[in-house]
Amino acid sequence: MPNSVGKRFKPTKYIPVSTAATLLVGSTTLFFVFTCPWLTKAISPGVPLYNGVVFLFVLANFSMATFMDPGVFPRAEEDEDKDDDFRAPLYKNVEIKGIQVRMKWCATCHFYRPPRCSHCSVCDNCVEDFDHHCPWVNNCIGRRNYRYFFLFLLSLSIHMVGVFSFGLLFVLHHMERLGTLHTTITLVVMCIAGLFFIPVMGLTGFHMVLVARGRTTNEQVTGKFRGGVNPFTQGCCGNIKYVLCAPLVPRYTGVDPRKKPPVSIQPPFIRPDISDRQISIKVSDNGIHTSILRSKSKISLDGLALDDKGLDTQPPLPPKADRYNQLKSQLTSSKGNSLTGKTHPSTPAMYKYRPSFGTIPKVHYNAAGEKIVMPDDHHKASAILEEGRCHVDYRSEPNLDLPDYHNAPLHRTFQSSPLQLDSYLINSRSLSLKQAHQRRDKGQLPTLQPETATSTPYKSVFSPNTLSNRNGSLSYDSLLNPSISPATEAECMAHPGMPFMGFHTPYLPTKMCHVRGPELQSQRQQVPPSFSPMLGSRGIGMSMSRQSPRDRDPSPVRYDNLSKTIMASIQERKEMEEKEKLLLHHGGHSQAQAYNQAQDSGMFDSPGGYGLPPSACYPDGPRGPSSKGPTPPAYGGSRDNLMGVVSYGPRTPVLRSSGGSSLVRAPRTSSSSLHTDSSMQGGRASEPSYRSPAHQPHHSPAMPQSPSYTHQKLSFIHALERTDSPRLGGPREAMMQSKVNGQTDCHLGPNSSSAQGNPLSPSRHSNVKKVTGVGGTTYEISV
Amino acid sequence: EISAPWTFHNLQELRHSASLANKVFLQRDYSDGTTCRFQTKFPSELESRIERPLFEDTVKRLNIYYAEAEKMGGQSYLEGCLACATAYLIFLCMETRYEKVLKKIGRYIQEQNEKIYAPRGLLITDPIERGMRVIEISIYEDRGSSGSCSGSSSTSGSSAR
Repeated sequence: MPNSVGKRFKPTKYIPVSTAATLLVGSTTLFFVFTCPWLTKAISPGVPLYNGVVFLFVLANFSMATFMDPGVFPRAEEDEDKDDDFRAPLYKNVEIKGIQVRMKWCATCHFYRPPRCSHCSVCDNCVEDFDHHCPWVNNCIGRRNYRYFFLFLLSLSIHMVGVFSFGLLFVLHHMERLGTLHTTITLVVMCIAGLFFIPVMGLTGFHMVLVARGRTTNEQVTGKFRGGVNPFTQGCCGNIKYVLCAPLVPRYTGVDPRKKPPVSIQPPFIRPDISDRQISIKVSDNGIHTSILRSKSKISLDGLALDDKGLDTQPPLPPKADRYNQLKSQLTSSKGNSLTGKTHPSTPAMYKYRPSFGTIPKVHYNAAGEKIVMPDDHHKASAILEEGRCHVDYRSEPNLDLPDYHNAPLHRTFQSSPLQLDSYLINSRSLSLKQAHQRRDKGQLPTLQPETATSTPYKSVFSPNTLSNRNGSLSYDSLLNPSISPATEAECMAHPGMPFMGFHTPYLPTKMCHVRGPELQSQRQQVPPSFSPMLGSRGIGMSMSRQSPRDRDPSPVRYDNLSKTIMASIQERKEMEEKEKLLLHHGGHSQAQAYNQAQDSGMFDSPGGYGLPPSACYPDGPRGPSSKGPTPPAYGGSRDNLMGVVSYGPRTPVLRSSGGSSLVRAPRTSSSSLHTDSSMQGGRASEPSYRSPAHQPHHSPAMPQSPSYTHQKLSFIHALERTDSPRLGGPREAMMQSKVNGQTDCHLGPNSSSAQGNPLSPSRHSNVKKVTGVGGTTYEISV
Repeated sequence: EISAPWTFHNLQELRHSASLANKVFLQRDYSDGTTCRFQTKFPSELESRIERPLFEDTVKRLNIYYAEAEKMGGQSYLEGCLACATAYLIFLCMETRYEKVLKKIGRYIQEQNEKIYAPRGLLITDPIERGMRVIEISIYEDRGSSGSCSGSSSTSGSSAR
């Protein structure tokens, strides 16, 4: 046996085909030699002619079936399967005419077998439209040669019938001389024909049915479409037509590269303009900031091959900010310019308070006091600025990316509420201090406290409001701590009331802080929860929810850059947020109620507001209102009250920023006090705070930390601020006095998340140094 | 041959100033059975390399060509009968309609490569080389400093081929 060096020569596989070929050719030849002459003479010359044609047909089809490539798929190159080889599922589903068809992964050929394709183990190839492997032709029957195989069967059947018939005729006519050579050979031929007649006819009939049904042998034998519908059928006539009249498909294997001239590839390469894409993405809606990020990151990645994270964190921010700014401006303009305006005025004021916070590093109450000094417009302006700053801060600090995101939503939600702006501003301030982590600790608080203190007092004042304005305060928080996205977020969320706080009388926060000091401290942990209701709800169900997850995601990245302390604070904040969430579900309402109590006006429908904090926060402006549906009205009232506390407006933001959560609560109480005693409301809350700087330290750690959240995005900060809710009264008062956006913020906070959103958006612009207040007022804040 | 900004004296030279970075595979669209169609979904990897309309236009055009090649009509029937009548000897001298369309597709792809894709650092591989299962698009990146003008003849294999 000849042994080829390459493939092993397997003679056994050639036995069937050899046998078949031998029998076919031999028998027919004998027939022609011995039988046809007499037939020609006896019947007509047409007999051999006819048989000759049929035999020729049989041979041609037999040859085609044997030597034609059935439709072998060339092996997939490595590049194609590098993704699939190890992790690819075994099957891939594809829908064909509405029917699910499974494509199996071929380990030998490294691709998913197209529909109707199967791997032939004899040929070791995947064959298109695999029918079967025919040993008689020693070839697979597939798409390309099925027609020839079928015709071969047909023609062979006809040929066999013809040979048998004419042989029989011959024999009948030569019965008397059966022993002669011609007769004997004819008899032999007849036997062969008769012997193979049954299998061949059977196979022919089988394939005729298959053709009519549009199935392959493989499908029929494996029962693929036994009970179902065959997606490949084209009807009986269509199937027959397909088999007989379809064009011959060229083979896939052995394809030469067409001898085409090579195409030269040289840089520089033309790149499509991607700016439009970015822009378009930016233009999308609220959720855009995420999408922007993605798109941008993608684009940046493609174009610049920058680090994803970096891109995601950094570049997206600016667009986001821009968008928020745009949104905010739109929102502010659309919503309640008055409101935003109120908030805006407060932000500047709050902004001014920043320094005051600095002066009272140790006690936020002191800061609150300072805040009081600068209520009114400053608050708003500062709040607004803070918002913007927060925005900016976030941008500038990669770590704050999270905050950004947080803020972004916060901004949106808070836009509606100036208080939110305040909180943001406060946050931003604290953030800018970048001692957020420090704030967390009491020691740190001093630095931050001024901010937080002021903010928290206000927050306390506006506690009721903050609750309701949780969203709003959040916005402020975001405003305050744009950089500290997570922190701010928490803060913003926590400080719905904060914004109000900002507007409250500075004294109030201290009072409230004082009163609540211990509470706040204890609540610090709670506060976050309280805020978290807002935050949590935000994150959970509200529009903010979007942000909260987002906030968290980037934060890990961002936080890497932060110092450990900051990271810790961020972690704390997160925990607080989670707690808040828990509380929200459980005690959020209770807190809200507390706030309600604090609020005489009940404007701050904090329960609802808090319940809605997320929504209130209005990650997108429009959402806020809806979410805050119930609350807005409440806030409206509160706002009015707050308006009276305009003076405290500036403070409110501060307060809010400081103690997000704490402020939230505080404001409620403070707000009520505010209402009752505009001057002392804040004082009520703030008095304690002022009175007892000692308390403040308690709170301030909590609250000032909120300022810290400016850069720490500490949820704790918010919490702290909330604890300072007593101070909210102050801020509220301030708000009322100043009638700044803070008021609107206050009541926007929880309620008008949208409103808050507006202020937020302006604050987002803050990085642009232009903050549009809740009421649509635009403040230019230099961050 | 593409006329490049730099003068090439050897048309067969393939300037490898770019290096193969990635390959994108456009899969078949089996929604309408086993007729040859390719998905027109725009791959994300090409987002920054080529404009979407250009890409979709190319793929749609290819789909039209393949549909034309596989069309079961009068011409394909006559071809079959003629082939049968001549015991398929006709295949030795004549080119089937499918083969003609495939050649047209090959020319179209070459033209697209020259005009649109190569300037963008892309190269489309004729699906027939992949068994009509995928359209392979090779993505090239600028190697940076390119001795593109160097006369070294790199194997043409135009990367895709």
